[in-house]
Amino acid sequence: MTVEPRRINHRHVELAQKILDVAGERGLSRGERLAEQALASLCNVSRTPIRKALQVLAERALVTADADGGYLLAVDPVATARLEDTPDGRGEGEIHAAILRDLAAGRIAEAQTVAALQRRYEASRQAVQNALMKLAEDNLAERGAGQQWLLKQFAIGGDAAAKSYEFRLATEPLALTMPDFRRDVPALTALRQSMLILSGMDERDFDRKLFDRTDYDFHLTIARGCGNPFMAEALVNHHRRRRASPPAGHVNAFRLMQSNLEHLQILEQIERGQMELAADLMRVHIQLSQSQRPRLAGRGVPPAFKLVSR
Amino acid sequence: MASAKTIALFPEASYGAALNCVGIAQELRRMGHRPVFVCHPGFGGVFSEYGFPEYPLADAEAGRPTDWNDFIERHQDAFRQSPLDQIESYVEPTWEAIVDTAMRVEEPLRQLLARLKPDAVVLDNVVMFPAVANAGAPWVRVVSCAETEIPDADVPPYLSGCGMDERECWPAFAARYEKAVAPAHRRFAAFLAECGVKAPAAPNFLDPSPWLNLLLAPEIIRHARRRPLDPEKFVFLDGCVRSEAPYTPPRFASHNDAPLVLTSFGSLGAMDVEMTKRMIAVFARLPCRFLVNAGHWREDYREVPDNVFIDSWFPQPSVVEQADLFIHHGGNNSFCEALYYGVPSLIMPYCWDGHDNAVRADETGVGRRLDRYGWSEAELEGAIRALLGDVAMRQRLKANAEKMRKAAGVTRAAEEIVKVAAGALSAVRAS
Repeated sequence: MTVEPRRINHRHVELAQKILDVAGERGLSRGERLAEQALASLCNVSRTPIRKALQVLAERALVTADADGGYLLAVDPVATARLEDTPDGRGEGEIHAAILRDLAAGRIAEAQTVAALQRRYEASRQAVQNALMKLAEDNLAERGAGQQWLLKQFAIGGDAAAKSYEFRLATEPLALTMPDFRRDVPALTALRQSMLILSGMDERDFDRKLFDRTDYDFHLTIARGCGNPFMAEALVNHHRRRRASPPAGHVNAFRLMQSNLEHLQILEQIERGQMELAADLMRVHIQLSQSQRPRLAGRGVPPAFKLVSR
Repeated sequence: MASAKTIALFPEASYGAALNCVGIAQELRRMGHRPVFVCHPGFGGVFSEYGFPEYPLADAEAGRPTDWNDFIERHQDAFRQSPLDQIESYVEPTWEAIVDTAMRVEEPLRQLLARLKPDAVVLDNVVMFPAVANAGAPWVRVVSCAETEIPDADVPPYLSGCGMDERECWPAFAARYEKAVAPAHRRFAAFLAECGVKAPAAPNFLDPSPWLNLLLAPEIIRHARRRPLDPEKFVFLDGCVRSEAPYTPPRFASHNDAPLVLTSFGSLGAMDVEMTKRMIAVFARLPCRFLVNAGHWREDYREVPDNVFIDSWFPQPSVVEQADLFIHHGGNNSFCEALYYGVPSLIMPYCWDGHDNAVRADETGVGRRLDRYGWSEAELEGAIRALLGDVAMRQRLKANAEKMRKAAGVTRAAEEIVKVAAGALSAVRAS
């Protein structure tokens, strides 16, 4: 696998996503102008990275160049799925994804060195190091002894999804009832619009990518708003790791549609300030999201053998 | 639309029958009816994922401690035997277990059907339940197994794995089978008599429904019967495939543009990890991408080759649709899905009607049979390469797939079931 360095890196893609998030939260719609200076101050960065991020959006036809200079929104931001890091399959984002895929698929061991990964992915030292740093940021890798890096197989292995639900069931309802919980009204408003768009779709045309973005942003908004920095850090880290990991299992569209309606119900209770009720609904939502399907079944197999995955 | 009907679907506790019923239920729901699922003990959770109400049957025995390792070892040995030898080692004990279950769930099933008051019951099983016969509503039989489940003088015996050109073997298999299952059948017949239901003639455990019987077998693999089935009571669906979430194949570490091969032996067949590992060693040197369903044993695989991806569950129809070859155990649902999407089957059977389907695939030129254990690496590789390279077979399968899609099996099934349910209602009104 040959990987070439690119000038656009995953940080520019992240910033491009942030621009879309800000546009959604401020109620901007298709055709409206994106002012560089305003975006720079809203995103707490200088204009140079904003320009790069806008280039990323232009490459993906999400913004168009304005005749007077600058860019116009070409899409409705609340109806847009999360940006993929490297849709063309190149760059350090691809090494990052390939490491995770190979780890989840059981192709590579947990203990690795930069040199070994360079050989496997035929990539430069810098590109592999950047990918490992990004994995470390998402809590999916950490430095080991000497030259070693330790990849966290437990976070993406077969039981990770079940353990993640267990963790979330213990923490997310609690986050909603923290005494200093603060509602991020613009974020919730943008999320509601996305959820309403999703609720208008049926099983056959359900936009899974828009759902994924809404799901991630919704749970992240709750984590960030909980008002307790320790709880917020734990949950934000967990959601980041969840998003960075290869998807576990396959959920059919019907369940995702139900899940979207559950999100809407929770959001409504948060907007009303009914936090205990929101927490109860979150508890139900997480439990309903866990697969109850038996892992083994067959003609004549006694019920006790029908192992259930949770 | 006529008034919405409540249809109780009661599939056996295996994924093939269950997911086949999901396809029919999805169509019933689209038509505005109310499909609900009656679940065998321990088999909940499958239907709720598709948004259907589930009613699990209570089972006093379900919590009993069991020896998992003993179960695996016992069955793995049986799976290595010929269909003839499996009669005593696997088929007969399985019938005993099925009869036990039918007896244990009778009372909860009777109570549940009385509460649900369905307009029709859809029974996708291999055994009769008196509660279904006595429910006061018509019942529809779905034949989820191979067509051999409905006997005929010109159809090889059920579960025999005998071919059409092996007629001399048919009587021996049939006699040995009948003798082996006789005790289970006697027990079952006595139980049915207690419940006031006439027992099917031995060695059958389920008669056709007097209302409607739905068979999956598409025309391309169907047998010519000496006594043709009554078209009013027996409807061939030409496949019955549920709609699943779209599937995007994962990015592999190599061979990303190569043909896609799905390997799945069902949740039970996945237990033989060593055999699957042997297959993966062959996959590693072929220019293809392989998706392998490892079921409950996913974590047992390490050092997975770059062109292989292992998971514990795949949305099978969506994967088969994109596959160039499907390696499976001959489960009827898997076989029909392969035919529905025009994909050749490499069938490595280990039990039940998998043997029948494997032989039928060979006979009708829609795939190949390969002994599950008695293969060399060269034979497995040769079979895969031959099926992937057989252009004539592919074209024939694609033309047949088009025909099957037009037949719209799930819609036909749903419409026929609703007709039966509606007929019952008029009968009640008239009386």
